[in-house]
Amino acid sequence: MRRITPYLLIAPFFLLFAVFGVYPLLYTGWVSLHDWHLIGGHQFVGLANYTGLLSDPDFWNAMANTGGIFVLATVPQLLLALWLASLLNRGLRARTALRMGILLPNVTSVAAVGIVFAQLYSRDFGLVNWLLGLAGAGPVDWQGSRAGSWLAIATMVDWRWTGYNALIFLAAMQAVPRDLYEAAAIDGASRSRQFWRITVPLLRPTIVFTVIISTIGGLQLFTEPLMFGNGKMLGGSLGQFQTVAMYMYETAFQRFQYGYGSAIAWTLFLVIAAVAGVNALLVRRAAR
Amino acid sequence: MIRKNSLTYLALIAACVLSAFPLYFMFVVATRTNDVISDVPPPLLPGGSFGENAGRAFANEHAAFLYGLVNSLIVSAVVTVSVVFFSSLAGFAFAKLRFRGRSALLLVIVGTMMVPTQLGIIPLYMLMVRLGWQGTLQAVIVPFLVSGFGVFMMRQYAASAIPDSLIEAAIIDGASTLRIFWSVVLPALRPAAAVLGLLTFMQTWNEFLWSFAVLDPDTPTVQLSLSLLATAYYTDYAQVFAATAIATLPLLFVFLVFGRQIIGGITEGAVKS
Amino acid sequence: MRTFARRALVAAAVLALVATGSACSKKNDSGARPGQLTITIDYFGDFGYADLIKEYERSHPGIHVQIRSVEKLDDYKPKLAQWLAAGTGAGDVVGLEEGILNEFKTQSQNFVNLFDHGAGDLRNDFLGWKWEGGTTADGKQLIGLPTDVGGLAMCYRRDLFAKAGLPSDREAVSQLWPTWEQFIATGQRFTAANTGAKGFVDSVTTPFNAIMFQSGDTNFYDRSGALAAESSPAVRRSWDLSMKMISDGVTARATTWSKDWEAGFKQGSFAVTACPSWMLGIIRNNSGADNAGKWDVAAVPGGGGNWGGSWLAVPKQSKHPKEAAELAKFLTSAKSQVAAFKKAGPLPSNVKALDDPEFRAYKNEYFNNAPVGQIFGSGAKALKPVYLGPKHQAIKERAFEPALQSVEQGQAKPDAAWAKALADAKKEAR
Repeated sequence: MRRITPYLLIAPFFLLFAVFGVYPLLYTGWVSLHDWHLIGGHQFVGLANYTGLLSDPDFWNAMANTGGIFVLATVPQLLLALWLASLLNRGLRARTALRMGILLPNVTSVAAVGIVFAQLYSRDFGLVNWLLGLAGAGPVDWQGSRAGSWLAIATMVDWRWTGYNALIFLAAMQAVPRDLYEAAAIDGASRSRQFWRITVPLLRPTIVFTVIISTIGGLQLFTEPLMFGNGKMLGGSLGQFQTVAMYMYETAFQRFQYGYGSAIAWTLFLVIAAVAGVNALLVRRAAR
Repeated sequence: MIRKNSLTYLALIAACVLSAFPLYFMFVVATRTNDVISDVPPPLLPGGSFGENAGRAFANEHAAFLYGLVNSLIVSAVVTVSVVFFSSLAGFAFAKLRFRGRSALLLVIVGTMMVPTQLGIIPLYMLMVRLGWQGTLQAVIVPFLVSGFGVFMMRQYAASAIPDSLIEAAIIDGASTLRIFWSVVLPALRPAAAVLGLLTFMQTWNEFLWSFAVLDPDTPTVQLSLSLLATAYYTDYAQVFAATAIATLPLLFVFLVFGRQIIGGITEGAVKS
Repeated sequence: MRTFARRALVAAAVLALVATGSACSKKNDSGARPGQLTITIDYFGDFGYADLIKEYERSHPGIHVQIRSVEKLDDYKPKLAQWLAAGTGAGDVVGLEEGILNEFKTQSQNFVNLFDHGAGDLRNDFLGWKWEGGTTADGKQLIGLPTDVGGLAMCYRRDLFAKAGLPSDREAVSQLWPTWEQFIATGQRFTAANTGAKGFVDSVTTPFNAIMFQSGDTNFYDRSGALAAESSPAVRRSWDLSMKMISDGVTARATTWSKDWEAGFKQGSFAVTACPSWMLGIIRNNSGADNAGKWDVAAVPGGGGNWGGSWLAVPKQSKHPKEAAELAKFLTSAKSQVAAFKKAGPLPSNVKALDDPEFRAYKNEYFNNAPVGQIFGSGAKALKPVYLGPKHQAIKERAFEPALQSVEQGQAKPDAAWAKALADAKKEAR
């Protein structure tokens, strides 16, 4: 009995995860090899859905949008988070209050974020355009233009996740031995030099971790652009902010092309796996 | 040095203000009448119409907002209890019991945290149809009953917080493994369980994509209700923002009370993995 | 203290289990009394049925009617398709809009034949083409009973017209624009007057729809059900006129159904919009009480046309098809259609309703007491049917309207947008 008890204790996790996590993901691959619709049977078509994807301008448009918004959201976000973490790492008062202050957005639901920001970025009556107007800049059509919509959506992502990442960086920074800094200070290294020469290299595994997490989340971006576009799966008049996840949803749950939708999902999965894999290699190199 | 520190404070306070502003704006609109929302400049000070606005949100027949709140409460509560329970169970096994394949299986668990399960929604939906669960709350509960993050977090805590001697003593007393879990381990895991519970509750409360795909508008979660309110043919902003505020308040409250623990939980899990 | 943690866990688990059993859904929470039969009705937007349902329940004590309405057609259609395919989930009565009707008609096996429930006698109550629309091609199955038609008019702001030095009386306004070219010319006069509005007509897509529905008897599909958007004169003509509106600067660029559009009603961002009668309720809601009496209703340029309108059908999966059919008959009766019109605006398709003196005499207070019964009613019988084809709604909303908007927003050139619209239409039609 004692021998199998441990397995019984961990079995629920593996069972449920297998049925509702792994199986659907693998079965997505199987469905993607078929012409499969809501109604009627399905037919094996091999890789036809994938070759279709390669020549589908809407798919490439969605890929470009997803990648563009991802870069626009992640790079400034992580830099800002690093900077905030380094500020928080200087023995301050009201430490908990400040940390909670920057984590506040992370508690808010994505749907709520989308609703509030869509209003802030409204073209004719939004706060952002009003502020721009005060500064003498013309109103920006945030929804209509590609650059505008990418920027607007990226700020939603940044707003929600910068503080979260800052706190993770902070925790890693606090694990850096103080005497390293003291030694550097004796050698006359400035604060910014210490930051780039000591903090950042030691934080590399944590940075790679946050990059992986941001990649997995960012490449599946869905709710923010959906709410920004007033609940429409099209992502703007030219699809200028339709992400791959939206395109997948549109294909599968609005056009009911399960096979093609699954091919989109599986392709995105491979892209995520590839990006995460590259990052894992970086971790290994950093650890060496 | 003092000047430098005050610059630091200034920057951090600015960051906090930016963090809080959209939420503040949400409360402003939630408390104003719908007429002023499209004014230029936009309203920046709260008013006194919150009650009326909230009343309209609850009365809106398209959004079933009250149902959404109750449903989300049910879903989040069930998922939270289940995740905490199963995570404690598995975390205890990984931390304190010896069995073949332990470290390999633990590695698998860490790996599952990286799996974008959201991409499996098409077959998951087909599965729900086959089970007859589409449009029901089971559909948004059952797939989330376990969490790799939870197992890992509880393992880390159990490994450091429960001395082996305690368990050995119980074994000598002749207690079964389940007995030990129930009367020794679970009470000791309480602090970590509370944090995991809070994190799970918040995450479940905020889940969107899957509910959007599988639920019907008359059985919504709160997030689905919000999106129905916000993307209607006719948008009553004061009403939408009042609903959004109501949907956000419970989490803000929890966050203000347990902020320190929540921060601890988030950073703990991330740094150690 | 230790036992506290366990007790809390057990209590929470029990609570959770109990709660799961009683999932909170409007579906279950029907409010029916014991012994009462619950009939559920699904539709989108507002059909104006709330009071009628209460009346029906009073005269049918054994029946409780549950309304489940999804606000947007775009959200409603995929859900309905999923319910039908899954064989469960749909209401006992469901609304089918003209743009999605033909697609659902291709799966006629999913619906009860209303001829089996004595609906055949009602044929002469309805506009002939509208009745035909609800039957299958072979005429053997009646899928839906007609609710409303979408007779067209133009809604305009009296105050803004006056400010621009244009006539504001509804007869005179109607005479400003017998044709769409004259409508555009009026728009240029309006724009030149600098009233402070952002434009003359709300957006390019409302006139596009109006023009398309009044020019010819087919739109994106030909009569055989094949996609023919590229060669359709109706589509081309509406497109060209729409492009002219954009290049002549008469639109306020407030994308229809967007937040800026909604706010635009309140702020007076534009002075006119095409209004099928079901749009009246939407305009009133968006404009708000402060703007009561500022809107009025005039004739549509280019003669009458039909935009929108629905049918009520009974899915095969309904467990109470007889009662459901009875309810559908009641809701589409002349008396009910007049009541719904007064409540929410949908224009009757029941000929007796159109002849009803109460309908004819009805004036809409919000729209400066416009005699809407007369305005919409007089043209209703002359409406010409338009054959829409299976994916009309999707092609309109996902191919052509976005393409028009992209030109309006200055993001695409007309030729490129036309090509994209055609490519997207092919994709939707697949």
